[in-house]
Amino acid sequence: MKREETITFFVEEARKDFSIVEKNLASIMQEAKVSEVKKLNYIEEFDAQNVVRQLVELKKSFAAKDSKYYGKLFGVPITVKDAICVRGLESKAGSKILKGYKPLFDATVIEHARNEGAIILAKTTQDEFGFGTFATNTIKVPKNPFDNSRSCGGSSGGAAGFTAFTKNYHLAIGESTGGSIACPASFCGCVGLTPTYGVVSRFGLIDYANSLDKIGAIAKNAEDAALLLEVISGYDERDSTSLKNGFVKEEGEIKRVAIIKDFFEPCDEEVKKVVKKKIEELKKFYAVEEVSLPLNVKYSLAAYYVIATCEASTNLAKLSGLRYGVQGSVEGKHFDEYFSEIRSKEFGAEAKRRIILGTFARMSGYRDAYYLKAMRVRTKLINEFNEAFKKYDLLLCPTMPTVAPRFDEIEKLTPMQNFAMDLCTVPANLAGLPHVSVNAGFSKNNLPIGLMAIAPHLEEKRLYSFARVVEA
Amino acid sequence: MSEETKVIIGLEIHAYLGTESKLFCSCATNATMPNTACCPICLGHPGSKPVLNEKAVELGVKVGLALNCTINEDFFFSRKTYFYPDMSMNYQITQYEVPVAEKGMVTLPSGKKIRIRRAHIEWDPAALVHPSGMGKSNYVLIDYNRSGLPLIEIVTEPDLSSPAEAREFMNTLENILSYLNVLRPNTTMKVDCNISINGGNRTEIKNVSGYAAAEKALTFELARQKLELKNGKIIHQHTRAFNADTGMTVELRKKETEDDYGYIFDPDLVKVSLGKDYLASAKAELPELPEAKAQRLMKEFNFSEYDARVLCGDFNLGKIFDKLVEKKASPQISARILTRELLAVLNHDALLWSEVSVSADDFVGLVELIEKGKVSDKNAKAAVINYVSGDKSKPVEFLSKNNLLISESIDLDAVVVKIISSNEKAVTDYKAGNQKSLNFLSGLVMRETKGTASPQKVLEMLKKKLS
Repeated sequence: MKREETITFFVEEARKDFSIVEKNLASIMQEAKVSEVKKLNYIEEFDAQNVVRQLVELKKSFAAKDSKYYGKLFGVPITVKDAICVRGLESKAGSKILKGYKPLFDATVIEHARNEGAIILAKTTQDEFGFGTFATNTIKVPKNPFDNSRSCGGSSGGAAGFTAFTKNYHLAIGESTGGSIACPASFCGCVGLTPTYGVVSRFGLIDYANSLDKIGAIAKNAEDAALLLEVISGYDERDSTSLKNGFVKEEGEIKRVAIIKDFFEPCDEEVKKVVKKKIEELKKFYAVEEVSLPLNVKYSLAAYYVIATCEASTNLAKLSGLRYGVQGSVEGKHFDEYFSEIRSKEFGAEAKRRIILGTFARMSGYRDAYYLKAMRVRTKLINEFNEAFKKYDLLLCPTMPTVAPRFDEIEKLTPMQNFAMDLCTVPANLAGLPHVSVNAGFSKNNLPIGLMAIAPHLEEKRLYSFARVVEA
Repeated sequence: MSEETKVIIGLEIHAYLGTESKLFCSCATNATMPNTACCPICLGHPGSKPVLNEKAVELGVKVGLALNCTINEDFFFSRKTYFYPDMSMNYQITQYEVPVAEKGMVTLPSGKKIRIRRAHIEWDPAALVHPSGMGKSNYVLIDYNRSGLPLIEIVTEPDLSSPAEAREFMNTLENILSYLNVLRPNTTMKVDCNISINGGNRTEIKNVSGYAAAEKALTFELARQKLELKNGKIIHQHTRAFNADTGMTVELRKKETEDDYGYIFDPDLVKVSLGKDYLASAKAELPELPEAKAQRLMKEFNFSEYDARVLCGDFNLGKIFDKLVEKKASPQISARILTRELLAVLNHDALLWSEVSVSADDFVGLVELIEKGKVSDKNAKAAVINYVSGDKSKPVEFLSKNNLLISESIDLDAVVVKIISSNEKAVTDYKAGNQKSLNFLSGLVMRETKGTASPQKVLEMLKKKLS
C-alpha cells in the first residue's frame, strides 16, 4: 500500500492546502449522488446543506489553525451507519418505525470524529436494527460494487459498499453485533476492524443487543481503519459498559497464530482455497498451527441468537409511535391497539421474527432453559477462546463461508440457513473479542474473499500489525 | 365454623429515595413545571444510555442495613418489560434476581417481628395526568418529570395478621426511614397490599397512596372477603384498586398466573460491586436507629420502656427531645410534655409534622417553668394546644400574656380564707374524714387563681387552716 493512499497523507496535505479538502469533498458528494441515481443504495440520509455548513466551519479552523486543524481527521469525510445518532440528522437504524427521528445529541464517536476535524458526510444503509447478514432486511438494499446483482453483506452494508465504491479519501463508521463489520468488509474487499466490547463508547448507538454491540471502523486499508478506531475509542462516562482502555495505533507482537480448523469446514471450496493460500504466505512471518474450538462451533450461534434476540426484543419495546419516529392516529383507540397497529405496520419481517424469538426466550418458564442458559454458555465459550490464546497470539479463519451471494440466492435461504452464514463471525462477537477482516484475494469471478483474525481482549494492535502484513 | 379468621397480609411499599438527580440521568428531582426535568435518557430516546446514580445506591444500602437485611455485595439491574404509556422505554429498570438487600427483619412496638423479603431500587415511570379526572378525560397528558425518579421498594413476607398490624408496621418502617434521612421530603409512599384469609387465594390491592389509605383498603378488603366466604363464594386470585373517595376496593383484572415481565439483566448497566470496605463504612456511618435509641434513653434517663418507645417511635418527636436535652432542659419533664401533651394534640387534630411548625427552642422555656413549679399541668397543656393549633404563640408568651404563671405575689391566703368560708359543707365533710373534699376545695382555689397558684402550696395552706 502506498503512503499516498492513506488518510494520514491526505490530512497532512490538507493542512497545507484547504482546496484539497474542498476537492475531495465535492468529488465524494458527487459520488454519493451518482450512487443514488444508480440505485446502489449506500446512502440512507444525506443533507448537502449540513455538509456545506461543516465545510465552512472547517475552513475557519484552517485559517485559525485551531485544534481541529491539528486533528487526526482534518477534512476527512466520514459516513456513519444509520444506527449511530448524529445530532439533527435523521437516524433510524434502517427502520421505517424511526422515520423522522432526529437525535438531540451526537453519539460519542461522532463527537470524537468532529473534534479531530472530520466532516460527517452521510448515514449509510443497513439491515433494520442490524438484523441481518446481507443488508436485505430493509427498504433500501445496498448493491455490491463488484457485482450489482450481489449483496454488500450486512448489516453495515452501506458502509462497506460505499467504502469500496468511492475513489476519494473517506472513512466509514460501522457497528457489529454478530459480525456486521467483518461480513460486509469481506464481501466488499475492505478492512473491517471491530474492537473489544467496551473499547468504543456505545453512547448514541441505537441498540441491537447492548451486551454485544460494538462500534468499529471500515476503510480501504488497515492503516486507515486503525486510525479511525484510535479516534473513536476511549472511556466514556455516558456508557456504563465503557472500558478505561482506548486503542492506540501501534505495533503488536505476533509470533504464533492458529487456524481455527472447525470454522473452515463448512466454507465453500473457493473460499477455503484463497484463505489457505494467503495463510501459506504468512508462514514467512509467523508460526502457523491449527486449533479446534468445538464448543464455539456447536453452541455459539444458538447462544448468540438467544441473547441477541432477548436483548433486542426489550430494546424495540420503546418503539411504539408515541414519542418520536412514526406517529399514527390515536383517535378512539386504546393504547394497546395503537401500539400494536404502529408496530405491526412499521417493523419489517425480520424485526418481528426477532421480537417474537426474544420475547419467547425470556418468558417465565422458558428463560431458565434459554436466556439464562445462553448466558452461562457464553461464559464457557469465552473460556474456550481464552484457553486458545494461552498458546496463540491470533486465531485465523475465513470471514464468511461464501463470497457475496446474489440477491436471488439470498431469497431462497431459510431463516436457519441465513443464521448459519454467521458461523465464523459470531463466536468472536459473542466473546467480545477484537477481530479484523482483511482481503485475502478474489474468487474466479473477481469477488473479494476476507480473512479474519481474532485477537485476545484489548489486543487490537496485533490486528493492526497483522492486517498490514496481509495487505503487503 | 370457627369464628376465628386467619388473616395473612404482605406489603410492597414504594418510597422515593432523596437524591438530587434521577436514578439514571442527571435531571433534577424537584422540578414543579411539567416536563421541565427530562432528557433523552429518561425520555427513552434511541441512542441514549442509563448511567447509575451512586447516591441512590448509597441510600438503598442504608435502607437495607436499617431493616437488618443482608446486603448483596454484588447486585444487578434488570429490565421488566410491559407496555404502558407512562413507561418511556416500555420496560422498567428494576432489580430482579439479585436486589441490593434481602432477608431482613423489623420489630414492631408490640415486639412482633416482621420479616422483610427484599428491598430493591428501581426507576419510577412518568406520571399520567387526566385533565378532567380519571375516566372522564378524553385525553391524557404525560409528565416525564417523574420518569426515572429513584424508588426503593420494600417487600415484606406475609407476616402481618391484621390491617391494624399492617398500619403499625408501616408507621414503624416510616420512622426507621425518617431516622435514616434517606427519603425525598413531602412525598407519599405507595403501597401494594396482599391479603388472604383462612388460607384462601390472595387479592392484591395495587398502588394505594399513603398508610392510612392502605389500612382502610385492607380493612374493607378483609370484610369483603369474609362476606364472600360467608356467602359460599370462592375468592379467586386477582388484582384490585382502592378508591379513596368511597373507601372501597374494586376488581381490576383477573390474575390466573403471575404476570410475565420477561426479565433480563439490563445489558446497558454493569454489575454493581460494593466491596467489603464500602459495606463496612456504610455500617459504621449508619445513624442511631429507633430501637437503639429507646434502649439508650431507658438506660441514660431511666425512662419507662413505654415512654422511651413513644419518644423514639416518632422521629420528629425524638429529634425535639434530643435538642431539649442538648439545651439542658430536664429530660424527664421534656419527655412528659412531648409524649403526653404534644403528641396528644397532634393525634387529636390528626396533624402531620409537615403541617405544623414546632421547634425545640419554644419548648425550652416551658420545660423550665414546669420544673420550677411555675405553671400548672393544666396550663402547660393549654399552652401546648394553643402553640400547635391555636394562635400558635410560643408557650411561654401565651402563659405570661394570659397571666397563667404561678405567681408569688397573689394573696393566696385571702383566696383560701374566702373559699373556706363559702363552702361550709365541704369543710365539714373534710373534718369528718373525707379526703375528696380537700381536693374539691383545692380545685376551687385553683380555679379562683386561674391555675396560677402552686397546687402543692394550696393543699398545704388548706390543711393548715382546717386543722
